[in-house]
Amino acid sequence: MEIRVKCRCGEDECSEWAIVELQGVVETQASFEGSIQNLEIGRLCHTESSQETYTFTVGYHELIGSKVILKKPLLVLKKLQLDDEVSGKTTELEVVGIIRTKILFKTRPKPLISGTN
Amino acid sequence: MAEGIGGAEAVIDLKPGSSIPISYHPSFGPHDDLLLLEADDNLVSDIFNQRVTLRGLADEDAVLCTKSKTFAIKFVGNSNSMFLIPPDDDDTNINNNNDKPLVSVLKIAPGNMELVEVSPRLDKLKQLLSANPYGASEVDAMMDDDNGLDDDNNEKKGVKLYTWNDLVNTVQASDEELSVGLESLSAVEIDGYWRVIDENYLDVILRMLLHNCVLNYWSFDDLDEDEVVSSLVADEFPSKLASPCLRVFGSRVSSNGTGKWKLEPRLVCLHFARQVLRDEKMRLESFMEEWKKKIPDGMEGKFEMLEGEVLTETIGIETRVYTFSVRSLPSTPAERFSILFKHRSKWEWKDLEPYLRDLHVPRLSMEGLLLKYTRRAQPKADAPPVFSAR
Repeated sequence: MEIRVKCRCGEDECSEWAIVELQGVVETQASFEGSIQNLEIGRLCHTESSQETYTFTVGYHELIGSKVILKKPLLVLKKLQLDDEVSGKTTELEVVGIIRTKILFKTRPKPLISGTN
Repeated sequence: MAEGIGGAEAVIDLKPGSSIPISYHPSFGPHDDLLLLEADDNLVSDIFNQRVTLRGLADEDAVLCTKSKTFAIKFVGNSNSMFLIPPDDDDTNINNNNDKPLVSVLKIAPGNMELVEVSPRLDKLKQLLSANPYGASEVDAMMDDDNGLDDDNNEKKGVKLYTWNDLVNTVQASDEELSVGLESLSAVEIDGYWRVIDENYLDVILRMLLHNCVLNYWSFDDLDEDEVVSSLVADEFPSKLASPCLRVFGSRVSSNGTGKWKLEPRLVCLHFARQVLRDEKMRLESFMEEWKKKIPDGMEGKFEMLEGEVLTETIGIETRVYTFSVRSLPSTPAERFSILFKHRSKWEWKDLEPYLRDLHVPRLSMEGLLLKYTRRAQPKADAPPVFSAR
């Protein structure tokens, strides 16, 4: 079986996705009921300083991180399962995006005692 | 900041002193159909030029192939939370009531796929093609048929034959590696199927070809394909085997595709050496005598031509020679060394090297291979080193 990795765009036009990466897990409060779609997670801030630092505030926690250029880009692939009259079930892989940088938070969250911004 | 610009762009272009909220996407979910693949710049370029495929059968781990290389695919998990943020699109904006830029996390990626270059899995190619060598009985059957109803006949007999596309779909190797593999098996394309030709049948055609060369005063270095084919057809060989024979024993003379070929002395002499030896061990002197008789006039048989194809053993004052072909050995290093050391527990480098020459393992040099799979001993300072199993 041979699956060609397809892409509809060229390298320069490929849409760039982003990654925000943090250690640990973000959880909704135990009392929350309902779906999490559209729920705000937190606030990402690019600090005004000479260093390339970012903060991510989630609830009462503040994380400190930086932008990292990936040594090897990540391609975002979408797997499509198709049912064709002629060739039966086939799988296709399509490149839908590329990721060249990520915002990485490596520190332990710092609790904001006085609350939000 | 422009209104409504959210998504990945907002994260990537976030200016110092600015901040944005990040939410779960309206369609946030597992999205198992979205995968992350780590790729270096060369591979990224190959992918965007539509040159990359995944190959393998349902019960195998898929490999990724570029035009010339084969990679194993490994999933590497990440215990961090990787929030995957797509570019701004219409779906997110529909739900965005207040025209503020929306940055949405579509999925938390559990990890990404990594590629590790591996040797092509060519042993399967050997197996598939050796199962049905093209031989005399098939030729007879074909001559009896009216025209090429080969497909039906072969299916009736339950014989599986492989076109290039079949091989691409079955063998885990890149196109280039597959071509090299076919060449090393002396496989040829007949009626669209890749076949190895039975050695005894090859012998009959080759001897007729050589006979015709002498009869017509043709030079071994300057054979005209059409003339060769016509002469063999006149001798009642099927034309579709005549050209393959040239391909097995010769190489094209590059002169604007004029169909000129030259016979390769090494390939012709090797063939006759194997015919002489068969499955026996012969005294070296007897072998050399018999071999020279079979070699056509105008060609010289040198023992070095048989490197990697025959082995000698010296017992007392007698040296014997026998067939031991590198092409019959596994192509993966661990198995290759295992078979070699089962055959002979100690090897000198000069005997061992021809049986390792074709091994190409990514990231491992010959020294590395030897270090990994052999034990090196030097009984005396002036004696050559000897290799044995690790």
